[in-house]
Amino acid sequence: FLVNHDLLWVNQIPDVSAEPWPESATLYQPLKEDQVLLSDCASSLAVQTYLRMCGLPVEVMYRANAEYMSPSGKIPFIHVGNQVVSELGPIVQFTKAKGHSLSDGLDDVQRAEMKAYMELVNNMLLTAELYIQWCDDATATGITRPRYSSPYSWPLSSFLAYQKQWEVRRKMNAIGWGGKTLEQVYEDVNQCCQALSQRLGTQPFFFNKQPTELDALVFGHLFTILTTRLTSTELAERIKSHSNLLSFCRRIEQTYFEDKSS
Amino acid sequence: MGTVHAKSLDPLPMHGRDLGVNPDDLVETPEVEQEAKQEILENKDVVVQHVNIQGLGRTKEDLLGYEISDVFHARNLIEVMKKAHVARQRLLRLGIFKEVEVLIDTSEGSDALPNGLDVTFEVTEIKRLTGSYNTMVGNNEGNMVLGLKLPNMLGRAEKLTFQFSYGTKETSYGLSFFKPQPGSFERNLALNLYKVTGQFSWSSLKETDRGLSAELNFPVGGTNQTLKWEGVWRELGCLARSTSFAVREESGHSLKSALSHTMSVDSRNSAILPSRGAFFRLSQELAGYTGGDVRFLKEDVELQVNRRLFWDSVVSASLWAGMLYPLGGKASCIADRFYLGGPTSIRGFGMYNIGPQSEGDYLGGEAYWAGGLHLYTPLPFRPGKGGFGDLFRTHFFLNAGNLCNLNYGDCPRTHLQRLAECIRWSYGAGIVLRLGNIARLELNYCVPMGVQSGDRICDGVQFGAGIRFL
Repeated sequence: FLVNHDLLWVNQIPDVSAEPWPESATLYQPLKEDQVLLSDCASSLAVQTYLRMCGLPVEVMYRANAEYMSPSGKIPFIHVGNQVVSELGPIVQFTKAKGHSLSDGLDDVQRAEMKAYMELVNNMLLTAELYIQWCDDATATGITRPRYSSPYSWPLSSFLAYQKQWEVRRKMNAIGWGGKTLEQVYEDVNQCCQALSQRLGTQPFFFNKQPTELDALVFGHLFTILTTRLTSTELAERIKSHSNLLSFCRRIEQTYFEDKSS
Repeated sequence: MGTVHAKSLDPLPMHGRDLGVNPDDLVETPEVEQEAKQEILENKDVVVQHVNIQGLGRTKEDLLGYEISDVFHARNLIEVMKKAHVARQRLLRLGIFKEVEVLIDTSEGSDALPNGLDVTFEVTEIKRLTGSYNTMVGNNEGNMVLGLKLPNMLGRAEKLTFQFSYGTKETSYGLSFFKPQPGSFERNLALNLYKVTGQFSWSSLKETDRGLSAELNFPVGGTNQTLKWEGVWRELGCLARSTSFAVREESGHSLKSALSHTMSVDSRNSAILPSRGAFFRLSQELAGYTGGDVRFLKEDVELQVNRRLFWDSVVSASLWAGMLYPLGGKASCIADRFYLGGPTSIRGFGMYNIGPQSEGDYLGGEAYWAGGLHLYTPLPFRPGKGGFGDLFRTHFFLNAGNLCNLNYGDCPRTHLQRLAECIRWSYGAGIVLRLGNIARLELNYCVPMGVQSGDRICDGVQFGAGIRFL
C-alpha cells in the first residue's frame, strides 16, 4: 500500500517537469548532534545517497522542527524551487518527473523486484529501528527520549517524547510487532540481511553495474546502523556477519561520499 | 402600621429582571422627579433596624453582608430607597440571583422604635447547575457545543464554567474558575484551562493552543489592573501543502510562559457606541523568564476619546500601537507578532492583509501603529428613533496605520522613520450596528490609499464584525 501512497503524493505535485533541478535545493533533517534518531538519520542518509547517485546537488539543513515542517510528518524532506517533497519514494518520483532516474535501465521484472526489496527494507529494517528506539525500554530511556525531547523545555519535552513513544508503540501493536521480544527483532533483521546479502551476491550493486534507489535505501539503513552507538552492539553485529553487505557499504561510501568531500 | 412598598416610588426601578447592569442606571439617579415627594418625606428621620435577606439557599450570608451593609446608614426614607436600590444592583451584579426584590416595612416586635424600618431583600437564587447545548454548522464543518455552568459553586459567588466543543474538524474546551473577593466584586481571581484551535487563512497557518492561566484583577484608584500568568503549549502547522516556506519553517511545538500586566481606565458610557468618555489600556507581556522556550517583551497600547457634537453626532478618535521585542537572540514567532488590516481596523484592506508577507502568506510585524477618526451620526431621517433605530449609526471614517519589522540595532529615530514611511490609510462611510454591548457589525464603503505591494485591498463595499475596533 506504500506504493499507492507514494503515487498519490506525486499526483498532487503540479507540472514540475518543466523546471530543471535548481542549485538551491535543500534537504531538511533534525539536528545532527543532539536530536536526530537512528531511523530518521537512516532515512535521511538514504535520500542523500540517492540524490548523490543522481548527481543532484542538495544542501543539508538541520532544523529542530524538521519533523513538523515536513508535509507528511516524516524525515527527511526536500525543498526544491517552491515544491516540498518528503520521504524517499515520493522524492524518487519527483526527480523522475524532472528527468533524473536510476531505474530507467531496468526491465519490468527487475523493477518489480526492486520495489519488493525496498518494501522489505522498509518493513524490516526501518520497523526494527523504530522498535529498538521506542519499544526497548533501555534504549528509549537512555537514548531516544532524551534526544527526541532535547529541543524543548520542560514539561513540553517529556510530554512530546512520551506522546511519540505511545504513537510508535500503537503502530507496532497494529502491525503485530507489539508482542515481539528484542531477540525476535534481531532475528528479523538477520533474515532481512540474509535476503539482501543473497540478492547482492558478488555484484557491486543490487542490479549489477548501476546503482538504483534500492542501493541508496539499503546503504542508508545499514551504514547508519553500523555507525550509530546504541545501548547494545547487537544490531550492528547482525549486519557485520554478512561480509558482502559490509563491503557494499564501504564501496558506496567511498564512491559517493569520500570522493566528493576531498 | 403602614407599609411602604418600594414599588410605590416610581423613579427607582426596584423590580424587573435586568440582570445586565447598565452603567447608566447607576450613574443617573433620578433627582429631579423626586422633589415633590421629598417634601412630604424629608423630615421623617428613620432608623434602619433590620435588614433581612429571604430566599437564601446555598449562598453564604457573610458574602451578602458586605453588599447590603450600607443600607443601615440611611437617615431618611429617600436614602433608604436609594441605598436599597444600590444594594439590589450590587446583589444582581454577583450573578447568583435570578431576581431580587426589595421590601421596606416599619419595624415590629418588642424592640421596635417608632421610626424604625426593616428592609427585606427577597432573592431567588439561580439554579446550582445550568447547561446549554448548541450546534453550529459552517463551511464544510459542524460543531456541537456543550456548556455547563455552576454559578454559585461554593456559596460565595464563585463561578465554574465549562465549555466543550466537538467538531468534525477539531475539538476545543475551556474550563474556568472565577472567585471574587467578598464585598469587592472587582477584586477577583480567575483560573483558566483551555484548548483552542485557530485556522488563520491570511497566514495559511493552523494553531492549536493548550494553556493554563491565572489572572488577578483589582482596581487601583480609578483604574483596573490585571496581573496574569499564562503557560501555553502552542502547536503550529501549515493549512495546506501550498503554504509558503516561510510559514512552514515556523511549524512545530513551542511552550510559552508569560507574565503580563494590563492597566485600563474606561470612562465611556458604552463600550460599543460611546457618546462620551475615554478609554485607555496599556498592556505588557514578558515571556520566557518563568520557563518555556519563547522569549519576548510585548507592549501594546490603546486609546480612544469620544466627544458629543451637535444633533447627537459623536466624534471619536482612537490610536493603537504595539511593539514586540524578541529577547535571547531568537527571532520572534509568527504566533506572537502583530497583524493589521481588516473591516474593524484599517478598513479597505483585507483581513490582516497588511505588511510583511511571503508567497501571499502574511507573516505579521514586530511593530505597528494605527489611528482612526470617526464621525458617528444617527441614521438619516432617524427611522425607529428611541427603539430599534438607536442600534444603528452612520459613520464617516479616516483610518491610517503601518505594520513593519524593526531592526532593533537602530536608534529610536530610525524606528519612527520606519513607522512613518509607507503609511496605509483609507477613508469612507458606512453603517454600524450595535450587537448587545459586546460586538458590532459594520457595512462600509472604503477607499484604501497608500497601498504597498503585497497588501491585499478591499476596494468598495466591505462587511465586518468585531469586538475590538479602531
